Amino acid sequence: MTLLALTYDLGSFLEENWEALLRGLVRTLQVSAIAIIGSLLIGLALGAARAHRIPVVSQLAVVYVEIIRNTPILVQIFFLYFGLGQFPAMRMDVFTVAWLSITIWGGAFQTENFRAGFEAVPFSLREGGLALGFTPLKNFVNVTLPVGGRIALPSTINTFIAVLKNTALLYVIAYEELTTTAFQIQALTLETLEAWTVLGIVYLTLVWGLSLSIRLLESHLALPEAA
Amino acid sequence: MIFVDVPEWADPVARYLIEEGLVGTLRIAAVALVASSLIGITLGTLLTIRFMPTRALIRLYIEVWRGLPIIVTLFIVYFGAPLISTQFELDPYTAGAVTLTLWGSAQIAEATRGAVQSISRGQHEAASALGFGWVGRHVFVILPQATRRLIPPLVSLLVGIILNTTLIGIIGGSELLEASKRMVEVVNAPLPTGFGDRGEFQIYTFVMLVFFLVCFPLTRLAAWLERRLVRA
Amino acid sequence: MKRLILFVALVSAAAAALAGWALSAPASGPTASSAPAAKQALPPLPAAVRNRKRWIIGVKCDAPPFGYIDVRGNNQGFDIEVARWFARYAFGRANRVGFVCAPTPAREPLITSGRVDLVISTFTYTRDRDTRIDFSRAYYKAGGRLLVRNNSPIRSLSDLAGRRVVTTSSSIYDRWVRRCFPNTELTVTDNLTNARLTFDQQRADTLMWDDTVLVGIAAADRNVKLTNDVFLPLPYGIGMRQGDTAMKRWVDSRLGLMKKADRFLPILRNTVPARFVPSFSKNILRPNVNFGYAPASEPDPANVCP
Repeated sequence: MTLLALTYDLGSFLEENWEALLRGLVRTLQVSAIAIIGSLLIGLALGAARAHRIPVVSQLAVVYVEIIRNTPILVQIFFLYFGLGQFPAMRMDVFTVAWLSITIWGGAFQTENFRAGFEAVPFSLREGGLALGFTPLKNFVNVTLPVGGRIALPSTINTFIAVLKNTALLYVIAYEELTTTAFQIQALTLETLEAWTVLGIVYLTLVWGLSLSIRLLESHLALPEAA
Repeated sequence: MIFVDVPEWADPVARYLIEEGLVGTLRIAAVALVASSLIGITLGTLLTIRFMPTRALIRLYIEVWRGLPIIVTLFIVYFGAPLISTQFELDPYTAGAVTLTLWGSAQIAEATRGAVQSISRGQHEAASALGFGWVGRHVFVILPQATRRLIPPLVSLLVGIILNTTLIGIIGGSELLEASKRMVEVVNAPLPTGFGDRGEFQIYTFVMLVFFLVCFPLTRLAAWLERRLVRA
Repeated sequence: MKRLILFVALVSAAAAALAGWALSAPASGPTASSAPAAKQALPPLPAAVRNRKRWIIGVKCDAPPFGYIDVRGNNQGFDIEVARWFARYAFGRANRVGFVCAPTPAREPLITSGRVDLVISTFTYTRDRDTRIDFSRAYYKAGGRLLVRNNSPIRSLSDLAGRRVVTTSSSIYDRWVRRCFPNTELTVTDNLTNARLTFDQQRADTLMWDDTVLVGIAAADRNVKLTNDVFLPLPYGIGMRQGDTAMKRWVDSRLGLMKKADRFLPILRNTVPARFVPSFSKNILRPNVNFGYAPASEPDPANVCP
């Protein structure tokens, strides 16, 4: 414990490194934002395709989802960066692989979330829409999407949070997001505990903050019978 | 294309990856699964007791280890803990197992709480009417039923743990992804030490295939169990 | 009565003479006069290793030719050969050693946690590292080199400005580049494999690492070469727990034996392409080749910028 007291100095660690850490945090948030939006779009599109059993697209979506969910995200990142990078035509830079890999990963989970949500919309509601004269597309947009989307909301949010946490894995391709930056700082200066403290606090704040604000949002968006 | 002419290093590399890499992965996963289950079920059950201090502590445990990225937890356990006390100096395998257990037990605790609380009050009342105390009630009536509902999440957790063992390679532990990196190195190394070839694409594809073949059946099993066991 | 006095006097004289002779003999016990094979006893093997009856040594698993795993899954390389010699010295058998993979970030934690007895893993001695662990005497004199593509505009260290450099994380190169070449685009990877891939896939303009490893790469790949700079000439040492004097004495003594018997040369022949053996034979310990760490009076070479 004495060793700890002698060398732990959070104040000076932050003072010296806050610029680099802030830059890392910004990159984390950038990649997370792109991946959240991207995975949302993929999830909506493919989830709808699956729920409506659109041929070809449905089957391809199943293959995509199952491969991504049953292989480690780390391998997916390596595959995209170094594996494909073996071929000059398919070489992507670090930032592209960063957001692309996490988006692809998140998209698979969102597809499942939305599929479940859309399929959970009571048939009576969907039928009602069609009876009102909606085309299938309008039916989807006006009935299935709002209701199914709200049903899927909790799991959707969980996936968003998972996406945020998985940006930390970009350490392995040396993309300078928060975890990579903190690790590199502590590798040079050996202020290990200070670095992990900062990482822990920032991630927990982000994750807890996101969960909490979403839970508040949920109570606004919840369906009447679920309230 | 590339796979048509199978390179000469394919067979020994594949064998090394399975025998060294996959075995290492499964070993860590087994330890982490058992430990997570034991700790998680205990904590989850305790979480249902209406006693503020324990509930708060357990809740904190769950939210911390689920909230942090697992890689950050791993770094804390491996690089950070030893600085507090030399007692906590762990080798990569143990650090990996501890990290996965912290994460896994948090997941299971949450699932257990849900499972236990989903058992209707009627069961509790009937059991106490029969003369069971709190412990007896839980051990003989509630937990057996709750455990049935826990099996699908446990199988899912196994998949999650197996997929996350890849993080241990970052600190030098021996699992499938790390083993594949070594094989890429030796295949790409110039003769005579290596093969002077380029193996990244094939090797990483192979690794993805292996993980898929192990995890896909488990995922399907979890879904099937969910339909079968969680009917009531 | 007279006979009695005479007898006592004779005995006393004899005793006095005997005592005088014994006391005047030199105090050192078995001296040079005893066996010529009385070389100083070699330091004994530390108890922990002796009781376990095998070594556990951390080595590189992805850095040919010093430490790598061949396709059959066996550890091979220069450092591994040194480890096997230690097994022979300690137990008479080369297989009494278990290897643990020690990539760069894991080297120190493996030592401090006691998971390994020694780390023989292209471990460069630096004064900074010496504050946390102990090193044996130097056993290999490595230098840093730059690996570039044949048509690269980088001709020497002075051309690094604005270029993309890759090396491994928390290596001596990592710190040196950050300190001395701040206007380069530095990428650090957590192991050598990824650093090589980063360079191979043209994500970096140059790979900075130890000479023997880079020489092997340049020798086999016609499209790359090394620049002429040799920098950071810092020897490798064997890492061990701080304060473990018994271990340090044992390791240093056996390295000395290997040096005297020129055992490092055959190991070098097995690891480096034949045409480089003559030039690299100056980097290993040989009967007439000596090197060590920079003396404490000089500035730390790891921090000196060109």
